[in-house]
Parts: sequence; structure tokens; C-alpha cells
Amino acid sequence: MSEIAIDNVVKVFGAGGAKPFTAIDSVDFHVKDQEFISVVGPSGCGKTTLMRMVAGLETVTEGEIRVAGKRVTGPGPDRAVVFQQFALFPWKTVRENITFGMRSKGASKAERDAAVEHYLTLMKMEGTEDKYPHQLSGGMQQRVAIARSYATDPGVLLMDEPFGALDAQTRTIMQEELVRVGKDNPRTVMFITHSVEEAVYLADRVVVMGRNPGHIREVIEVGETRRAEKWSEEPIDDVMEMPSFTHLRGQVWRLLREQMGGDL
Amino acid sequence: MAASGYTGGTEKRVPWGKLVTRPRITGFLTIAALLVIWWLLTSGLGIVGEFRFPSPEQFVTAFGRIWTNGYAGGTLLVQIVQSLRLVAIGFLTAIAIGVPLGFVMGYDRRVEAFVNPIFLLLRPIPPLAWIPLAIVWLGLGDASKVLVIFVAAFVPSVINTYTGVKNTRRHLIEAAQVHGAGRGRIITEVYLPDSAPMIFTGLRLSLQASWTTLVAAELVGAFLGLGRVLQTAYRDVNTAMILVAMVAIAISGYVTTLLLAQVEKRVIRWKDAA
Amino acid sequence: MSRGMPLWGWSALSLVLFFGLWQGVVSAGLVSEFVLPSPIDVGERFAALMARPFAGFLLWEHALSSLGRFLGGYLLAAAIGIPLGLMMGRFRLLEDIVSPLFEAYRYVAPLAWVPFAALWFGTGIGGPIMVIFTGAFAPCLVNAYRGARLVDTHLIEAAQTHGASEFRIGLEVLLPGALPSIVAGLRIAAGLGWQSLIGAELIVVSSGIGYVMTQGQMNLSPSTVMTAMLVIGVIGLTIDVILRAVEARVRAKWEGQ
Repeated sequence: MSEIAIDNVVKVFGAGGAKPFTAIDSVDFHVKDQEFISVVGPSGCGKTTLMRMVAGLETVTEGEIRVAGKRVTGPGPDRAVVFQQFALFPWKTVRENITFGMRSKGASKAERDAAVEHYLTLMKMEGTEDKYPHQLSGGMQQRVAIARSYATDPGVLLMDEPFGALDAQTRTIMQEELVRVGKDNPRTVMFITHSVEEAVYLADRVVVMGRNPGHIREVIEVGETRRAEKWSEEPIDDVMEMPSFTHLRGQVWRLLREQMGGDL
Repeated sequence: MAASGYTGGTEKRVPWGKLVTRPRITGFLTIAALLVIWWLLTSGLGIVGEFRFPSPEQFVTAFGRIWTNGYAGGTLLVQIVQSLRLVAIGFLTAIAIGVPLGFVMGYDRRVEAFVNPIFLLLRPIPPLAWIPLAIVWLGLGDASKVLVIFVAAFVPSVINTYTGVKNTRRHLIEAAQVHGAGRGRIITEVYLPDSAPMIFTGLRLSLQASWTTLVAAELVGAFLGLGRVLQTAYRDVNTAMILVAMVAIAISGYVTTLLLAQVEKRVIRWKDAA
Repeated sequence: MSRGMPLWGWSALSLVLFFGLWQGVVSAGLVSEFVLPSPIDVGERFAALMARPFAGFLLWEHALSSLGRFLGGYLLAAAIGIPLGLMMGRFRLLEDIVSPLFEAYRYVAPLAWVPFAALWFGTGIGGPIMVIFTGAFAPCLVNAYRGARLVDTHLIEAAQTHGASEFRIGLEVLLPGALPSIVAGLRIAAGLGWQSLIGAELIVVSSGIGYVMTQGQMNLSPSTVMTAMLVIGVIGLTIDVILRAVEARVRAKWEGQ
């Protein structure tokens, strides 16, 4: 059970110093176990900071974050992170990258080899175990990064604009892949993105954040519609033409646009 | 220095096979032309006397002499080995201490704060300036040379390792942290590999400094070694032997640098990485 | 501040330990002051050398004479190295011609030129200047070359379409464009040149700081040697600090463009 509880969290950078900067002011939000949450918002709304706090890469100034009931005090393999820049170790092969976290948990060689085979097949990247990251395309590198995160069997997946560095076509394919992989391997996911389409397509709920200071403006329910309209059974381009999809997308987009106008 | 890209005037590349490219031909022709000019100025027209610069024949004769009979205490091989020995000892000791020190300084702010002032105090003193003191303390033998080489090789390896460690990419460190790696693994599997290119740059600079200092130290006073050959040849006004020594020094430096580059290639197998 | 000593505390501690131990070891008689003079001894020697002539001149006069030689060789290296480097960056043919010679020259330690310098220039000022030149030349050339190569082709083409001569292109496009790299090269060259100067003075001169050091060594007076080392370090550091400031200024102006 890997639910995320964010309780009245405040984040101030440079607190007690000369110029304190309040990145996030009182965010209160709960993610259910195996729920997929997209977080969207204008630049500077603190969405990345929020994710990093759940990951344990930033400290909380006020309030508390709990994952699976335990307070977050630092990073760990139970909350895997997929970075925008992939963050693959350039000096390690694909195999070594994927099994990196597994070695922290003390997995045996047999277990590690099995995992590598499983995930490479899952990601449709058989045969690349011994290649180095720089020999792979951007899309393939990100798949390796995702495989690396899955390999430690984390309860929570935190993804910070993971497809932001990919070209448009690869990005669309990756979105489909993520849904496909998520079907058989459901996790609690927090997914940060700038793309409204991506957010709506992937999520059970979409959290729209605002800035100055960072806070939650509104949460939009998507999951019911997805299941009712059976999005996961259609190709992605068809889904994005469906009226149910465009309606929800419009909702999110309007919320964002209000902010852009107001804050300029 | 060869690089592709922009060039000013007209550029016509007519490669007959990949080896025979225009830069190579030009370079070859230039060297050939210089050799001809050298011969003309010295033997051919006698414009430059042998007490200024040797002729090619004199050079070859001197080379033969030191190779077989020896000069200033030993054959060329003996002299090279002597100098090489001192460089090796000084250089290896320096990096064995310097790289770890630079690493710890880059990793721990307190160590950096502790070591820095002394470093800043001693750093402006050029390694060559240690030669007289080293001689006062340790005499004209090997020990004083090794000391000075050590000082020369120490600084670049510390500084470059330190810079490499400080510039280790943060998102790689974080990727390791979120996957549960402990401090030891983060050091060996993230900090070290990411700093490796910078560390090797430091090693290259250290090697270069080692040779420069060795030559200087042996010139000032030594019993054996390429610098001693240089010094003796100077006293004897034997320009041919001076040139032989200079060439021997250059080649030794070149070969050792090449060896280091080979080591670097083996260690850093992931070149071209982002 | 969290647990433990603040950072500056560690720095202060290390300085105290360094000088304290140094002075202590000598005062306690553990090491003879003829082998390792204490900081105080060095200070006294410094004062003495500033007041009474040593080998014919006062300490600062020696320093000045060294600086003079240094500037001669350094400015010569810059005057030849920078234009040559710029031209090599601009004209491939020139690069092809000069490159092999440069590579060969680079592996010869600057001080290995001392015998030839002494034979060709005797005990005159030409010898040290030549040695300094060989030390300072490489960075000037290489950095000017790299800077020129980094200059945007379009700027040069724009100048050409406006009918600028090669000289004007070099002066008004290449030089400004390569300036940050050139200034960095000048800083590195200064360090190498200063070191080469000291080396040359160790071997073939009869005045200057290097000579003071050699005399100190021959007289087995480490306090003299250390005083000279101190002066060498201070002068070298000053030159470096000045050039770093210049480099920062140039970069700031350039980034602001």
C-alpha cells in the first residue's frame, strides 16, 4: 500500500537568510494507492519542488509528507525517480544501469539477470544490455531510465517531465508505452508535465497548480471518464479526438490560461 | 592541433586515400624544407658555425657517440633511464597523494577549508624555485630531484581532481540516491567516474610539469641524467650533444605522455557521453 | 551554523598549526636553524636583504631586474604568439605548416633551451629573454588559435562583404572575438614565463632573484633561499591576480555583448 499523504506542506528556500523565497505555500493532497496523478502548472508553480520533496531530495519547511504511512526523510528506492535528463550513468551499460538499484537491495545475480531480461523485453529493447547510453537514442535512454526505476519494485514512481527531452513522435509513443506498461505493473505515480494532453491522457486525476506562491488551484477527476470511455483500448491519436478527452483537456487548459493572463 | 570546421582561405581537400591528406603533405614538406635549410646553413654554406648550432652530420655523429660510448657518465640509454626513473618516482608519488587529497577536498567542505590556506600559501612558489632549497637539504643526488618533481606534479593533480569532484553532475548523484546507493557506492560509482576526465587532465599536466622540473633540476646540478648531459655539453661547447640531449628530452616526454593517454583510453571507455 | 567548527575556523586552525609547528620545531631545537629557518628567521633575513646589498644590490633591486627580464620575454612571446595564433586559426595552410614544428617544440622543456640561449647571447639579457619566450610562447599561441577558431564565420564573412582587408579583419573581428581566450592564455603564459625566468636565473645570470637563490644555496643559507622563494611567490601571485582581474573584466564585457 503506497499511498502518498502531503499534509499542509510549506517550502521556503533560504529560510532565515537574506531573501527567503516561498516556493510552495500550504499544499494539502492525498494520492491513493496505485493512483496515477498528473501535476500541471505554469513555470514557477513549484510542481517540481513538490515532487522532489516527496522523493526526499528536498526538505519540507513546514508540514509533513508520508508515503505508505512513513514520514519521508530522504531519498530511497521505494520512491523511484525518473529524471527529465534521464540521469543514466554514462559509464555503465544498460544492464548495469537497470540493476543499479537492485544491487542496493542485495539482489542476487540470477535475480538481476532475470529483471534485465524482463524489462528489456517489456520495453521492446531486447539485445541492448551491453550497450552504453551514448549509443542509444533519446527514447531508448528514457526507457532504460524507466526500467531502472521499475527494477527496484518501488511502491511510488515520481516522474519529472520524463518525456520533455524527446521529440514529439517519440514522446507520443512513450506515452502509449507508459500506459501499456502500467496496465500490468500498476504503481502509485506522480507525473509532472507541461503538456496538458499528456497529463489528461495518463492520469486518474490531474492536479492543476498555481504560482506566487505555489499552491493547488484545482483537482480534476479523469479516471472515471477514462474507464467509462475505455481509452486504454484505443490508439492514442484516436483517444485524443474523442469528445470526452477534449472536454477534460479544455477544462485543464482553461484553468491554466486564467493563470497566465492574471500573472503576466 | 588539427581540427575540422572553419578555415579562412580556399580549402581544397584532395585526399588520395585517408592517410595522405593535405595537412599531412604540407607538414611533411615543411619538415623536409627545414631539414634542407638546416643542412645548407651549417654544412653546405657554412653560415652558421658549429659553436652556434650543429650540422646534421655532427648531430648524427654525436648521437652515435653517446649511444655507444656514452657521454657525461653513461650511454644515452643509461641517461634516459635515470631521468625516467626520477620522473616516475616523483610523478607517481605525487599523484598517489595528490589525487586522493584533491578528492577529499572536493567532497568535504571542512577538509577543503583546512587544506586550502596552506595550499594558497605554497602554490605561488614555482616548483623550480624549490630547487636550491632541495639542494641545501638533500644535496645534488636523486633525492633533491625527486622532491622538486613531487612538488611540481602535486599541485595540478590536486587542483584538477578537486575541480572534477566539485563539478560532478548533481542529477547523477540524485539518481544514485533515489535508487538506494549508500555513500560508498555513490563515491565509487558516481563521483569517481564523472570526475575521471578532469582527473586525467590533471595527470597530464602533472606529467608535463614533472619533465620540465626534472630537466631544470638536472641542469642546475646532477651526476647523471639527460639534464646532466645537457649541462656537460654546454660546458664543453658541444652544440651537437646539446641538440641530442634536447631531442632525447622531447622524445621521452612525448612517449610518456602517449603512455598516459593510452591508460586514459582504457579507463574511460565511455567517451562521447553526454 | 550546524555542528562543529565553522569553515573559516578550520582555515584559521590550519594556518595556526602550520606556522606554530614550524616555529616551534625550530625554537625547540629539534631542527637546526641552518637547515630549517623559522618564520621569524626568514622575516629577519628578508629585512636584512632589503637594507643591505647582497651580491651588489638590494633585494628589491634584484626583484626589479628579474621583472624586467620577465617582461621582455613575456611581451615578445605575446607579440609573436598572438598574431601568429590568430592567423593560424584563420588560414588552414598556415596551420598545416606551423603545426608540426609547434608540436615538436612543445615537448622540449623550456629550460632545455638554456645552453643554446647562453651560447648565442652570452651573459647578456638576450639569454633569459629567449628562455622566458620559449616558456610563454605556447599558451599565447594556442589560446589565440583556439579563440580565432571559435569566432563566428558569419562575422568574418560580413566583414569581407564590406571590403575589409585581411589586416582589418584580423584586428577588428578576430582579435576582439578571440579576446577572452587570449587573455586566459596570457595568464597561463605569465605563470610559465615567470617560472622559466627563475629557472634561467638559477643557471646563467649574475643578478636577479634567481641569482640570490643560487647564492643562498651555495652559501648554505636556507634563510636567504626561503626569502627569495617568498619574493618569487609574491610577485608571481600578484601578476596572476592582476591578470585574473583583467580576464574577469573582459569576460564580463563579452558576456554582456
